[in-house]
Amino acid sequence: MIKNSKYLLFCILFLGSPYLTLKIIAQNLGDTLHLPEFEIKSSFVLDNKGFKRSKLDSAILMPQLSANLSTILSQHSTIFIKSYGNNTLATSSFRGTTAQHTQVEWNGINLNSPMLGQVDFSQIPISQFDGLEILYGAAGISRTSGAFGGVIDLVTNPDWNNRYSGTLAQTVASFNSYTTNAKITAGTKSFQSHSKFSFASALNDFSYTNDIGEVSYQKNASNKFYDVAQEFFWKLNDRHLFSAKFWYNNNNRKLPATATQTDNKNAESQQDNALRAILEYKFIEKKYNLLIRSALVSQYMNYIQDSLLNVTHTYYSWINRIRFSYNGIKNLTIKPGMDYTADWVYSDSYNELKTRRTVSFFLEMNYNIGKKINASLVLREDLIDGKFIPFVPAIGAEYRPFNNINLAFSANLARNYRYPTLNDLFWELSGNPDLKPEVNYTSEIGSTFNFTTNNNRLFIEANLTGYYSWIYEMIIWQPVEGSNLWKPENVGEVLARGLEVGFNIRSEIMRFKLSFDNNYNYCRSTYEKTNIVNDNKIGKQLIYIPVHNFNSTISLERWKFYFIYNFSFISRRYTGKDNLSYMPAYSMSSVIFGKNLGLRNFILSLQFEINNLFNLDYQSIASRPMPGINYAFTLKLSLSGGRNQ
Amino acid sequence: MNKNRYPIYWISLLYSSLVFVFFSTSCSKDPVREKTIEDPDTTVVSVNYEDGIFIINEGNYNWGNASVTFVDNKTNKAVQSIFRKSNGRGLGDVAQSMKIIGNLGYVIVNNSNNIEVVSLKDFKSVKSITGLFYPRYMEVIDSNKAYVTNLQNSISVIDLQNNSVSGSIQTSTWTENQVLYEKYMLIASIGDFSKPSFQRKAQILKIDTQTDSIVDSLVTGKEPVGIVIDKEKKVWILCSGGYDYFEAPSLLRIDPISFRIEKQFTFFDTKQVPSRLCINHTMDTLYFLKGGVFQMPISAAGLPVQPLIPSNERRLYGLEIHPVTGNIFVSDAKDYVQNGTACQYNVNGTLIRQYIAGRIPGTFSFTKPATGK
Repeated sequence: MIKNSKYLLFCILFLGSPYLTLKIIAQNLGDTLHLPEFEIKSSFVLDNKGFKRSKLDSAILMPQLSANLSTILSQHSTIFIKSYGNNTLATSSFRGTTAQHTQVEWNGINLNSPMLGQVDFSQIPISQFDGLEILYGAAGISRTSGAFGGVIDLVTNPDWNNRYSGTLAQTVASFNSYTTNAKITAGTKSFQSHSKFSFASALNDFSYTNDIGEVSYQKNASNKFYDVAQEFFWKLNDRHLFSAKFWYNNNNRKLPATATQTDNKNAESQQDNALRAILEYKFIEKKYNLLIRSALVSQYMNYIQDSLLNVTHTYYSWINRIRFSYNGIKNLTIKPGMDYTADWVYSDSYNELKTRRTVSFFLEMNYNIGKKINASLVLREDLIDGKFIPFVPAIGAEYRPFNNINLAFSANLARNYRYPTLNDLFWELSGNPDLKPEVNYTSEIGSTFNFTTNNNRLFIEANLTGYYSWIYEMIIWQPVEGSNLWKPENVGEVLARGLEVGFNIRSEIMRFKLSFDNNYNYCRSTYEKTNIVNDNKIGKQLIYIPVHNFNSTISLERWKFYFIYNFSFISRRYTGKDNLSYMPAYSMSSVIFGKNLGLRNFILSLQFEINNLFNLDYQSIASRPMPGINYAFTLKLSLSGGRNQ
Repeated sequence: MNKNRYPIYWISLLYSSLVFVFFSTSCSKDPVREKTIEDPDTTVVSVNYEDGIFIINEGNYNWGNASVTFVDNKTNKAVQSIFRKSNGRGLGDVAQSMKIIGNLGYVIVNNSNNIEVVSLKDFKSVKSITGLFYPRYMEVIDSNKAYVTNLQNSISVIDLQNNSVSGSIQTSTWTENQVLYEKYMLIASIGDFSKPSFQRKAQILKIDTQTDSIVDSLVTGKEPVGIVIDKEKKVWILCSGGYDYFEAPSLLRIDPISFRIEKQFTFFDTKQVPSRLCINHTMDTLYFLKGGVFQMPISAAGLPVQPLIPSNERRLYGLEIHPVTGNIFVSDAKDYVQNGTACQYNVNGTLIRQYIAGRIPGTFSFTKPATGK
């Protein structure tokens, strides 16, 4: 029952949170059923069986409803996001690896294009999911092979107590940006439906100072983005769980010329649309459970460069997964599974239709050695178009020395392979069908600590992880000697090592709710091998990967006012492999200030946001202008129709 | 609230304010723009640029890092990014070539769609010529007029008196190198840039420079990327065969008067594509890149088999012959994502000197000595 509107806000902020549902999807399915009404959410998973995972929940996502994933990750994670501008292409570097080494999943299905092997983070709106989970390094092997950096999983999940609720939000922001978000959820204790819609458009005509100190305006940078989703969740006897999810989006954007292309005669534009559909069934028993999932993805991309180029790439993927989990043997959990993925690619850049069939066999075993040690073994074997790629094993262990102190040490060791993308293999004239998979040897040690006071008023958690990862046979596109063509070859070798630090505090004091989150990544990722003469890159940092990446968020809440301050620091990024040119370090601040007004079943939220608070004149990527100080105003109306009893 | 928990709370608050103060004050407020680290030896700005070698560094497409390296003939030291040093701004995106006319340098910046006209005294920009269509190469007709080839649309006619585009010759094609023969400019036309090789019409256009009109054309092999004229007034054309290996590359000799192909040599070894056709100072020997540097007397009966300068696994990218000494200048672009180098060889192919260059060194330009030809 709703006692007062404070409780309502509380429900919206916390109960729909992924804490509940991440567990449903990622871990033991049985956990779903007895959830505490309120629990302080920890970002770092203590019970990680040797593999690091962390979470970003709706408390962080909610106030940035109209943002996209690239903003969220650059403000709240150790993953470096390389952004080409406002609302334009954004790719990731996770633990010093390249964009293709990060896999992004939506409810467990892969969003990386089989062509390019990467994801454009600017195309994923926050409103589309309820929380996200980050699997670092070898932790990703439980999902896929080849994600040397890690896996980011975006999850949506039901709140079985919801009767009906809705949200309507409108954001008006600088540079003629408008975003509308609508969400309706309704259901019973055993059935829930989510409908989501968002529409965003922006002219993006921000001003920037050009090379000679004159003010220029960004041209040809507008975009229109539609996003529609429908999800159904159905629960039978608390043992059978069905879900069906559909997500469609359509993005029309113009691509601005670089700052030095002052007289661009060939305006570029790009249209993307994607449809993803998932059917999922889970069967939950005390000793075993079962997951069956089948998904279809269709993605269309059309790139136009005025009269010069007009190319279309279309792909379809059929993604299937079966996972079984059995914990009937004392101290042992066995999770065998199998994945089957088929990709079909029609591309103007390929000679013909290209397909790929991937069958993966998967086995995970968790074994408790006494009460203090929890070890796990993950084995994966991929069969791609009838060829076995070498075996992918990962072994991890976690040690919790104390019964009454939440302190855990973990370590893991893994070997991983990444199969070349279809572009690497088949791109017209350049593709190299003889490519071998990339090889990765990685290890990690870490510790996680958390502490809660008896009255739940103060929660502190800290995480420290060191990683060391060698990538061999790395696929590098290089000019071919005596030719104008570039070809991918297995010639690179990269050593990525670093340290991740996380430190979070949540506290409630004198009715002030405070949270303070910090992430820091120190990452040295260096070129270790060459196949060209007089090469100056050996031992040098990979281009566009910062050595230091730090971000910090403070949020305060009182009298239904909330205030969020985010700070991020990115150190120098080199722009040449010889490390003789670079983009200087910069820091970025943003603030969000809002007020929730409760009125019966409604909450009206007013929110004001300032980005690039200190109006820094910066470029994240050479020659790609970024906006100065900019503002957003959001009006949000939420309705809650009570709880199912 | 448990009193002894307070310290943690206050410590965290203190820490957060420290972090805030530290970072928001430590970072400089200078605009965040690409910077370069240079060997202190080469950071000195030359007194003038009137006697030396310019290495034109294309830079990466869309990265805006084109630059010019200057090698002073007196000191033989390379000075990097001279345009930025003299003008306080970058040169732009993809510097294709540079033409020296009198005491001015015309740096053709392809993807910035302009020509920076610089004074050779101080390399300060005196004018930026716009109204082009992705310019490639410039050739002088007389003291008043020059042609600039473009990737699209037309050939631009430049008025050298006021340094502006005074007209255009419609071609709708990608035009590349050009040579002047009497009153005619012979221009290599590769075809429609947006089309694949089989739909491109490769030809040499003969243009009357007095009327700016196309008077004749001659179909050649795909991608006639190079064109030079020898001492016997014969024109040599190097066809790469197409970016997609459409056909075997070839070297043609044409007579500029009859406008017919007189000789044709076909490259049967197509593993490496020939490029950068040059002629030496005495105009009797051709040079081109094909992995390594090849040398071919104009009287030769066949294509050379052995390179004069082997590539030794380098990614040789640019080639030019010094118009006075006949020395051979070659550039190595390495993997295109780091600074390249340039080498000077004597006519026998012996290395004289090596220079550090900028990103993707592609072409060279030489100042004319006071007592030059």
